[in-house]
Amino acid sequence: MARMKFLCDAERCIECNSCVTACKNENEVPWGVNRRRVVVLGDGEPGEKSISVACMHCTDAPCAAVCPVDCFYTTDDGIVLHDKDLCIGCGYCFYACPFGAPQYPQEQAFGVRGKMDKCTFCAGGPLPDNTDAEYTKYGRNRISEGKLPLCAEMCATKALIAGDGDTIADIYRERVLQRGTRPQTWGWETAYPSG
Amino acid sequence: MQKKLIVILLVLSGSLALSGCLEDFQVTLHEPGVYMGPSDPLLETSQTAALADRLNTGQTDR
Repeated sequence: MARMKFLCDAERCIECNSCVTACKNENEVPWGVNRRRVVVLGDGEPGEKSISVACMHCTDAPCAAVCPVDCFYTTDDGIVLHDKDLCIGCGYCFYACPFGAPQYPQEQAFGVRGKMDKCTFCAGGPLPDNTDAEYTKYGRNRISEGKLPLCAEMCATKALIAGDGDTIADIYRERVLQRGTRPQTWGWETAYPSG
Repeated sequence: MQKKLIVILLVLSGSLALSGCLEDFQVTLHEPGVYMGPSDPLLETSQTAALADRLNTGQTDR
């Protein structure tokens, strides 16, 4: 069984934000919510690096562990999804998530939060596949059509790849071998720069 | 006799009051619960092969 994962190659990401735009457009994401965002490390400095971040569909998802209403479930392919009818918008998952993936649309005045919204790996939610109800609540269900998330499929530099964790790890390993070195966005040389 | 009774009452009430200070040494471990919502129709179909094909054709070309 596959374990669906995202991988962003920091050596290839050019901060074009097309993944963010594609996600917003494909899923009609509400105003004020970003399921995906591009984070720039060392912005404006020589050697700056960008990475595209969304829900990483953790194998042992901390959001699911802290949810008081147990609205999270994981598909057979390892995609972490949730039921918005059960969600109470408490925000626990936001505090638990190391990637800041859960987002909350503003529902009323005074900042009252709505139901949690996050990247679904373009897999919709627990409603009949490819129905208007599913689209309105969770966005497009591309997985049921045998397609991968649009953010990864339309990445111009192929920095963002999505698919089975083993396969994308192989792709990345091949790239590292071709380059001759790992990207130093993080790791030893970032933590302990020479000189 | 009355003094004894007062002492006994004080000891009893003191021990009763202090019993509220007992600490429960059981650590609460949170286990993720079981999903409580309706089943996702996506779970009944498997697109694993189609997704693997899509990944191999679309994202490994360069």
